[in-house]
Amino acid sequence: MMWLGEIWRRLQFMTRRREFERDLQEELRLHLDLRAEDSPGDDAHFAAKRRFGNSTQVKETSREMWNLGTTFGTLLQDAKHAVRSFSKSRGFSAIAVLTLALGIGSSTAVFSLIDVILLKPLPYPEPEKIVLPWRTPPAGMTLGFDELPWDRVAFLEFARTSKTFQHTAAFLTQSFNLTGVGAPVRLAGMQVSAAFFPALGVSPVLGRFFTAEEDQPGREHEVILSHAVWLERFGGDPKILGRALELNGAPYVVTGVMPPGFAFPRAHEMPGSFSFPRETQLWVPIALSRGPLNRGEPSELAVIGRLNPDADLAQAQADLDAFEKRWEQERPGAKGWIHARARALSRQVAGDTRRPLLLILGAVAVVLLIACCNVANLLLARSLKRKREFVLRAALGAGSSRLIRQLLTESLVLALAGGAVGVFVAQSAIYFVKMFGPPNIPRLHEVALDPRVLVFAAAVTLVTGILFGIVPSIGARRADLADSLKEGARGSSGRGALRSAILVTEVALALVLVIAAGLLIRSFFHLLSADAGFNSARVLTFELTLPATKYARQEQIVALYRTALERLRAAPGVQSTGITEILPVDGAGESTVMRIPDRPVTNPRDRPIVSYTIVSPGYLSAIGTPILRGRDFLESDQADSQPVAIVNIAMAKKIWPGQDPIGKAAGVPIRKYDMTIVGVAADVKHLSLHEEAGPEIYVVYTQDPWPSMLTMQVALRTTADLNTAIAYARDAVRSIDPDLPLANVRMLAELVSDSMTQPRFSMLLVALFGAFAMVLASVGMYGVISYSVAQRTQEIGIRMALGAGRPDVFRMILGQGARLAGVGIAIGIVVALLVTRAMTAFLYGVRPADPMTFGAVSVLLIGVAMAACYVPARRAMRLNPTIALRYE
Amino acid sequence: MLILKTLARGGQQHGYEIANSIQQISREILEVEEGSLYPALQRMLIKGWATAEWGVTKGNRRARYYRLTRAGRKRLESELDQFRRVSRAIFRVIESS
Repeated sequence: MMWLGEIWRRLQFMTRRREFERDLQEELRLHLDLRAEDSPGDDAHFAAKRRFGNSTQVKETSREMWNLGTTFGTLLQDAKHAVRSFSKSRGFSAIAVLTLALGIGSSTAVFSLIDVILLKPLPYPEPEKIVLPWRTPPAGMTLGFDELPWDRVAFLEFARTSKTFQHTAAFLTQSFNLTGVGAPVRLAGMQVSAAFFPALGVSPVLGRFFTAEEDQPGREHEVILSHAVWLERFGGDPKILGRALELNGAPYVVTGVMPPGFAFPRAHEMPGSFSFPRETQLWVPIALSRGPLNRGEPSELAVIGRLNPDADLAQAQADLDAFEKRWEQERPGAKGWIHARARALSRQVAGDTRRPLLLILGAVAVVLLIACCNVANLLLARSLKRKREFVLRAALGAGSSRLIRQLLTESLVLALAGGAVGVFVAQSAIYFVKMFGPPNIPRLHEVALDPRVLVFAAAVTLVTGILFGIVPSIGARRADLADSLKEGARGSSGRGALRSAILVTEVALALVLVIAAGLLIRSFFHLLSADAGFNSARVLTFELTLPATKYARQEQIVALYRTALERLRAAPGVQSTGITEILPVDGAGESTVMRIPDRPVTNPRDRPIVSYTIVSPGYLSAIGTPILRGRDFLESDQADSQPVAIVNIAMAKKIWPGQDPIGKAAGVPIRKYDMTIVGVAADVKHLSLHEEAGPEIYVVYTQDPWPSMLTMQVALRTTADLNTAIAYARDAVRSIDPDLPLANVRMLAELVSDSMTQPRFSMLLVALFGAFAMVLASVGMYGVISYSVAQRTQEIGIRMALGAGRPDVFRMILGQGARLAGVGIAIGIVVALLVTRAMTAFLYGVRPADPMTFGAVSVLLIGVAMAACYVPARRAMRLNPTIALRYE
Repeated sequence: MLILKTLARGGQQHGYEIANSIQQISREILEVEEGSLYPALQRMLIKGWATAEWGVTKGNRRARYYRLTRAGRKRLESELDQFRRVSRAIFRVIESS
């Protein structure tokens, strides 16, 4: 506590500077006067002055004493000294600074991502109050996803009775063909309740929301545009409000324009099982009708709410649970199906990126640690070389705390230089992620080197500086005078052990990281070569959205698709073509409960749930899904013929285990009739290549037209080149209906590649960090071994003089490196076995303790270590014994 | 250390008195520039080893009087200890050779 008082006195002094000057002045004059009086002679004053010395200097040094700067003055002095000595050994400093810059820079870049995605509040007012209540599957049922939509009546009832929500809104994706403004274009739209915008707390920059009155069936003719659409389609027309538009053939009036950047909901911020657009471009009233649920009316609503100011997530959950109880009392049949879980919007948005980000954070932390180890080792080697300097300084009276302070200052100077370069590394890393990273990182546009990130970088710099500075300081403390003098120039073996320990740590850390990278790489290629149930080569896909006004009757819809398919099939190069509700790896489609006549269930809740996909004849062969038994749909499967269906293997195995499903019957509860199974197809993966396909049933569009068929995906397997195929498809569709745009024109391979962006990104980053780790560890190995060769020069000379051959020396040095690497690898393998278990969720087709990865990485690391020892070992081998013996 | 010792013995003294007593006690062997006393006094104030107060001398002049604090006494103890140890060691080295 002494220093506290000292600082207090110094601060006091600052406020009384003038008083101090006066006091000192008077004190000195008194001294001179008294001395002059006491001394005899004429020139007494002069003599007194001479005895006193330089009074100006006395005043000056007295003043300086008080300056707060002096404590920092020594610090500054140390820093200057450090800079000077570092600039003398350029190679050392360059390696140290670069190592640190890599470590600090990459961790800063990773932090900037984590900061925006996981830590920073969303750009909505009081974002913690925004909650998404998702329905969840009944206990014990696995669908591959955990978020289910609400049905209309349950939503309206919950919105009416909820006590914790201030605003509750439903929203539902709907595509719109915008016609009459340039070429017809398909826009990603959202039907939303009037409370949608108040729930988010966002206001339009232009105009207003629609009101609750406008959100009524028959009155829903308002549209709010996104800023991007307003600029691109309407040239930022300030008089856009009140303008009439034609969307899906119906008249709409523009009532508002949202602020730039607002595109809620975005697909990658929402559950993958909902097919939300990449960016929402317009919002229209959802206009839910109030009546009871129609037979067969789908549950398809997503719900968002803003909590009351005094409510929190737990209360919202309690509210949902209470609602579930009430609902189940009134409708016992719905038991288990109405359970909902409240999830904070922030949590939802961070979504799937949370775990990969934490994985990457772990990797970067390991790199930073290795960088610290490396620099600590470098500094240690340097401090050994500088032993004489320290002994001299200690002999001249420098206390050990003073020496430690100097060493710490030096490491901080290094860390600061590393941090400064690291900021540039981080800046360019962020740039690369933005340019080449996956497009589905949430809120990527917000990522930047902002003050928060810079503060983080500064903190990391300080911590690393202290971390790698402490080790050599401990060394310095131990280097007490007497020992050093006794040991002479031979150096202490104790600190050789310290260096080896650091090196072993480094090798172990690097091994863990490279094993993690190896596992990710292996599972990535497993994913690529996994049988996804389709063949994406040369398959063109696009989306057709029919306006409901023009295609009101189901016969019209069926007729349009039939004609379109006929014309497309006739195109040059087309091998097969078909339509589907949902393409592979593009999200989950509709699911439904099945009725299986030969497996009756007593409890309706035990009925199986399967994916229900409407396709056309030719679709399965267009995406290359083999039909393993039975047949594909035929043109002859019509509304008036026997209803037929195709099941996938997963469904066949689940419902008819050990039996041939062909000829069996299955139906959906809302249809009276049963379908006959005519074929068994391979399992197609819908959500991602990562997971196993669930049970799925295909039905043919001509036999079971649903309203959802207004939007269908077309798949086209063709030998023609891409542009010709697209042009021909466009012409074919235009020749039937000139107002129909082709949307989302993509190759199926692109969809596959898009679904792989996240595993690819994690794999690349971890592999990159693994490579860093390996390079750093080999630099460390090189440093330790060449230092030890220098230290053992005399010993080597003696060995040679006693008859050791050059190969013996070479082997001895390599052996030393191999021992260190071996210990590091052994420790690393144990740690890796523990660590990789936490990675199971990232792996596909590879066990966390994959012996091949462990083996290959260990061999690789041994190889790298040996390569790093090669140069010093050769140097040892080439030593001239006579010179070596005299070496001091 | 010398100043600490002087103050410890003499109680409250002003700069000139301190300089004189150091000189007298050391029998004029230690002849330093008297001015260097003052920065040292300032240092003691900073460290909290001494406090200063303005007073009046016998000759009726205003002078700043320094007085040792408890921290100052402790410091003196430890410095004396240190000094004794070093001087004993030096003495032994000189005698033995």
